[in-house]
Amino acid sequence: MATESTVAPAQHLTSDRQTHATLSWRDRHSDSIAAYLFLAPFLVIYLIFLLFPVIQALLMSLYEWDLLDPRVRRFVGLDNYAEMFGTTGGLTWGVTGNTGWRLLALAVLLAVLIAAFRGALARATAWVSAGVMVLIWVLLGLRPGADAAWTDGVFWSSFANTVLFVLLSTPLIVGVALALAIPLARPGGVAAFLRIVFFAPYVLSVAVLTLIWGFLLNPDLGLIASLTSWFGMEPIAWLTEPGFAMVAIVVTTLWWTMGFNLILFIAGLQDIEPSLYEAATLDGANPWHRFLNVTVPGLRRTLVLVTVLQVIASFQIFGQVFIMTRGGPGGTTRVLIQHIYESSFREFRLGYGAALSVFLFVVMLVAAVIQFRLLNTEEDES
Amino acid sequence: MSSASQATDKDAKLRDGGPGRKPVKVRGLLVVGLLGFVAAMWLAPLVWMFSLSLSDNTALQTNTTSLLPLEATTENYQDALAVGLTPRWLLNSTIVTGVTTIATLLLSAMAGYALARIRFSGKRLVFPLILAGLMVPKEAMFIPLFLMFAEVDQHNTYQALALPRIAAPLGVFIMTQFFMAIPRELEEAAAMDGASRWRIFTRIMLPMSVPALTALGTFTFILTWNDFLWPLVSATDPEMFTITTGLASLQGNFAQANELGSLMARGAIAAIPLLILYFIFQRYLIRGIAMGSGGK
Repeated sequence: MATESTVAPAQHLTSDRQTHATLSWRDRHSDSIAAYLFLAPFLVIYLIFLLFPVIQALLMSLYEWDLLDPRVRRFVGLDNYAEMFGTTGGLTWGVTGNTGWRLLALAVLLAVLIAAFRGALARATAWVSAGVMVLIWVLLGLRPGADAAWTDGVFWSSFANTVLFVLLSTPLIVGVALALAIPLARPGGVAAFLRIVFFAPYVLSVAVLTLIWGFLLNPDLGLIASLTSWFGMEPIAWLTEPGFAMVAIVVTTLWWTMGFNLILFIAGLQDIEPSLYEAATLDGANPWHRFLNVTVPGLRRTLVLVTVLQVIASFQIFGQVFIMTRGGPGGTTRVLIQHIYESSFREFRLGYGAALSVFLFVVMLVAAVIQFRLLNTEEDES
Repeated sequence: MSSASQATDKDAKLRDGGPGRKPVKVRGLLVVGLLGFVAAMWLAPLVWMFSLSLSDNTALQTNTTSLLPLEATTENYQDALAVGLTPRWLLNSTIVTGVTTIATLLLSAMAGYALARIRFSGKRLVFPLILAGLMVPKEAMFIPLFLMFAEVDQHNTYQALALPRIAAPLGVFIMTQFFMAIPRELEEAAAMDGASRWRIFTRIMLPMSVPALTALGTFTFILTWNDFLWPLVSATDPEMFTITTGLASLQGNFAQANELGSLMARGAIAAIPLLILYFIFQRYLIRGIAMGSGGK
């Protein structure tokens, strides 16, 4: 026994080296097999139910594809896209028209130029985003020729409503989440409790959300009407007044999803080195300066991430409006996904619906890329 | 030295809003008061739903703005669970969500383990391919999916409701990141002892990833339970609605003002499982969200 045990380590070493050498050769082959065995169940489902549908959507968008009649599957090239973007009789261009949207594009252009001038933006990024804004401004001047109309006016109005929702909801939801994250990022029982409260609505399903808020906003039954009547205001029919419906949807969404962004911000804040704050305080920085010089730079990555995720989520708005307003009143809250849904399942035009889906996909990709470029400039420079 | 430590001391007091100088204390109170007010506003809609759901339907004819139940009763809940399809929808949601969650956990962990720990040819192709899926807006791609299931006549089934959700790549991404952060020593020791890959995975890696799996599982459960567009498109037979689409269908055509309490009870029934789950697992859930997005 004793002799065996003294010999063993040496043997062990040599045999180990040998097996290691042989293994590393064998590994390269057997490991690939093992890896693909581990990956296969997910990959198969992923390829069939996620990647394939994207390719299929691209293909279907080139077809006239009837949901009810399988005989109508005709290749039509880009006809669906032409219908989406086209008019019944030519296009003209003018400096007027779409005034609000075009002023907004100009305002963003101005902001980009000022930021570039002050050195806050990389030059390439500034040129690209300025170019995009000018392009948007020019495109917004297009309109149907005399005695003509857009072939699909509903597409344009639902696209405009979607963009409006994105532009209203993103700054509001991100801003409120950021404002609440700063006091709630500190440790302690009260902050932990409040975090639980603010996140709670996020776990509700959209149907519960609309059930609560549909009645909350009801001018006869809701809490909000009784709240506004304290201030002597007439009850507002939030969901049936064209001017108010979108605002009501935005507020509903704020209540529902703000907690998600809040958690991301808190995680980001807790990653900032506490010593940075201490150093800033020692240098005599007041809370506002600490916020500007420590919090904002330290949170930049999180801010980019939260904003991009929020824009992506906002572009996909559907359930709230579909249940609460059905796109009304007067189509003022109809959004792109609802238009996709209705084109496909009310008008049974799957090919056209697929083309609309592809459009939404592309718009979201472009928006995400632009934001990463615009907000992430600091990392480009470093 | 002493002046520096004094400064940090005072600093700590400033941050705590503790017994420091007076204006700070006042401002601290103001912040707490404001936060409390906003938090109360955030809670009020939920409290209101539960209050209405516990109120008598006829009492609600005259007053619907109370945050406390009127003539408190559990009748609405009993009705909701006895009459109509609500119990069936709850069952559907439980099955679909349960299957989806378990499958997502298992498949994500397996794929994540392979991507994080095994060297294999083609990895440079596979990993970006999976990451690309993160960019696909699931909500926008329901038409080809609808057609796919229609062609094999599989709509209004549990598999149609579950499979597209399992294909989501976020879980793989999270698990890959998690496994990459685990030290290799344990695994190597087991490999020396001749343990197979599968054994290492089930006996060492899976037990170590329980916190990550809990987070991912909670998140998946909530998202699947709340899925709306795909069940709306795929399950058109009321027997196959989930609680989410079922509840939405009630809102369209309910004799609303008369049955407000019953309706709210159904909403509460849809919300309660998730709220309970959330309160149990909120720590994991919150960490999971940070994990899923922090690592990019």
